[in-house]
Amino acid sequence: MDSTLPAVAEELLKEIKKAFQETSHVPDDLLLGLKFIFGPSAVPALDLVDQRSVTRVVSPSGRTAYQVLGSSGKLYTCYSSCHFCTCPAFGFAVLQKSESLLCKHILAVYLSQAVGACQELTVSEEQLTSILLAEEEDEG
Amino acid sequence: LCRGGLAERLYRLQNRERSAISFWRHQCISDAKTASDKSGVLTVKILEMFEECTIQVAICQQLEQSPAMLSSEDVVINAGEPILKVLFARETAAHLKSRPQDVIHIYPPWQKLLLRNADVPVIMHTYFSQKVLLSDHSETREKSYGLTKMLIRKNITSLAQTFSLDDPDDELHQESSDNQVSCAPQIHNNCDSKQHPLARSAVNDSLLEMVESQGAVGWREAQVRVVIQRVYCLPAREGYRSHVQGNKPLSAIPIINSDPPNVRLCLLVQDAYGMFSEVQLQSLTFADDIEQYCRRWEGKFCCLAGMKILQRTTRGRALGLFSLIDSLWPPVVPVKVAGQSQASEMMTTNLPPPSFCYILTAQSGEIHVEVDEEEQISNLYQPPAVHGLKEILQINGCNERCSFWAQVLYLRLQTKHSVPINQREILLFVTDSTLQNVVHMIPKVVAVSVAASCVLSTEITEALSVASRLVFFKDVLWGNGRIICVERTVLLLQKPLLYSAAGADLSELTGPVRLDELDSTTQANSICAVKGTVVGVNESTAFSWPTCDRCGNGKLELCPQDRGLLYCSQCSEVVISPVLKMQLEVFLSCPSRSQSTVKVKVWHEISFGLFVLINMLLSLQSYEVQSVLGKEVGLLNCYVHSVTSHPNCVALEEIVLL
Repeated sequence: MDSTLPAVAEELLKEIKKAFQETSHVPDDLLLGLKFIFGPSAVPALDLVDQRSVTRVVSPSGRTAYQVLGSSGKLYTCYSSCHFCTCPAFGFAVLQKSESLLCKHILAVYLSQAVGACQELTVSEEQLTSILLAEEEDEG
Repeated sequence: LCRGGLAERLYRLQNRERSAISFWRHQCISDAKTASDKSGVLTVKILEMFEECTIQVAICQQLEQSPAMLSSEDVVINAGEPILKVLFARETAAHLKSRPQDVIHIYPPWQKLLLRNADVPVIMHTYFSQKVLLSDHSETREKSYGLTKMLIRKNITSLAQTFSLDDPDDELHQESSDNQVSCAPQIHNNCDSKQHPLARSAVNDSLLEMVESQGAVGWREAQVRVVIQRVYCLPAREGYRSHVQGNKPLSAIPIINSDPPNVRLCLLVQDAYGMFSEVQLQSLTFADDIEQYCRRWEGKFCCLAGMKILQRTTRGRALGLFSLIDSLWPPVVPVKVAGQSQASEMMTTNLPPPSFCYILTAQSGEIHVEVDEEEQISNLYQPPAVHGLKEILQINGCNERCSFWAQVLYLRLQTKHSVPINQREILLFVTDSTLQNVVHMIPKVVAVSVAASCVLSTEITEALSVASRLVFFKDVLWGNGRIICVERTVLLLQKPLLYSAAGADLSELTGPVRLDELDSTTQANSICAVKGTVVGVNESTAFSWPTCDRCGNGKLELCPQDRGLLYCSQCSEVVISPVLKMQLEVFLSCPSRSQSTVKVKVWHEISFGLFVLINMLLSLQSYEVQSVLGKEVGLLNCYVHSVTSHPNCVALEEIVLL
């Protein structure tokens, strides 16, 4: 049986984007839907959106990545081509235990896209490369 | 958390929800009532279960509601017991401890989500769920549940699957306002360009057969040919509400402020067996082209394909729809009768009027309605029967739909400030030659109220506010002595191409319009003509104020730079020569209603007859009331605010007719 949850999650995020585009407002229904699907990550993710913590980093070649300023002040990197985040929660809850679809940072990335709260930053190729490789240095 | 941010909102919502859930659970235990007779409850039987990221996904069969249940408005057609995917949150799943073959009652508010490329609807927000205990072996069940839990398959989702928030084609929100009526692309071209398989499949002529054979969702290959009896717009909220069972639709877009309402273009169609159906087409931002659609489509044949059933509604639940259907009953040509062979009897007399009606909508993606515009008008078509207002006022029934052609004399917006402007009731005062060339005992002017549910095109609202217009009122509701425009009523500026004028005199009005004179039968919220002598002045109500000579804005401000000058914020300019408006309430003695005190609010610029009076009273700041008394006031057109018997008083306001 094919998995259901990703399609449901995607549809929910799409609805949020649509609602926001039309009324500049996210209705309560959809917020509660986020809670239903994403559980405890929902409120922290929204908090990251409120604080404008998500930045979309672009390089001249067109490569993108997302950087999210976590609550502890640490900067986490989320990939755009697949679901991946450098935060420890992702490694534990998503990779290891398959308990969540996304960590709060990846969810914040999607929500920021939906409500247009993404900051944009253009960097050079070298800088983007170092961002993508940076976690190797930080961990340890 | 940021104050007022999304996180804070969700935090509060989730707390509220948590309390609601625990409260509900306690109530369930203490109540121990069976669920089946509450409305909105979804009953499902679990067929298969698995887990995805702590959410339990249950493939279920929806069970038919028990007959004892006074069901909510929407009854799903259980053609082959629909399959649902029900999601349970981790905590709910732990509480339920369900296994395959269990029956669960899901109480509202639950939410239904229809995914774009999937047939199976997903049910979410299932916090209020309860298992139906079929037997008493609770202990053994607990034990075996533990075992089952270990066997529930966990689906691992791929991280490579990212979400795309872009919407390449979404028919609900396509920019339809730019598409001109001349080619109505939503409806025609979609069929052409997508090489739809519907092209030459069998064409049915029975709606009932289509519904029964094709089911509630997706009429795959067949089409049905019907006649379009009426075209109208419905406020979109109605369409959304009936879209989902249970309660709140997932994406109810709140219409908060004074933006123009969303409307849905709808058709009332009838098949060869006389059965009706309402087809909801695309959403429009404005009902602007309704006149064109009516002209081009009413009476023509069209083919419906790829429909899905939103609702099967009955007479008792949809009075408005059925009053329209009744006005089209009985059919004007013989209709086929189900069960009889093709060529044999067709009946038209003694057929009972329909008691149910299907409301259809296009499946997501494409709209499969092809109107045969070139073809002739069908014989089955019943054009609106036009009557003179005098005749309508004499109709005996209640909730009758009727049509007429009348001149609008005056428009009044009901002022309830809590209601947004586009949802306020409008009162139109109309007349026609049947009322004007009148006999005793019949009013010369009649009030038509326009409810918020009646969708008006921008064209009409603009035309009505500018000058006196002749308007065609199609399918208004007459009942209890009142004419009301409700949903499915259409106001048009031109007479339709086809209408049957049952002996009505539709000649234009010649000569000036006359209003009824104020007398003992005058009621509140009507208009009348008043004539009398001034017997008093209500000095406390007299005041004057400056207005902008360019735009008429009555709320001028003091200029910030030079406090001696006036400033108009609407024109964004200083007002050099403001127009002074004055208002005053006078008491008249009217011979036509001699017992009452008649109080009239008069305005300067209109009332030339009283201008001198007011001038004396206000602008000179010193006056003798005596000099005003006894003055004769000629025929004033007034709106009646109120009529009271104790004290016997009539409060009027002078008005200008359009």
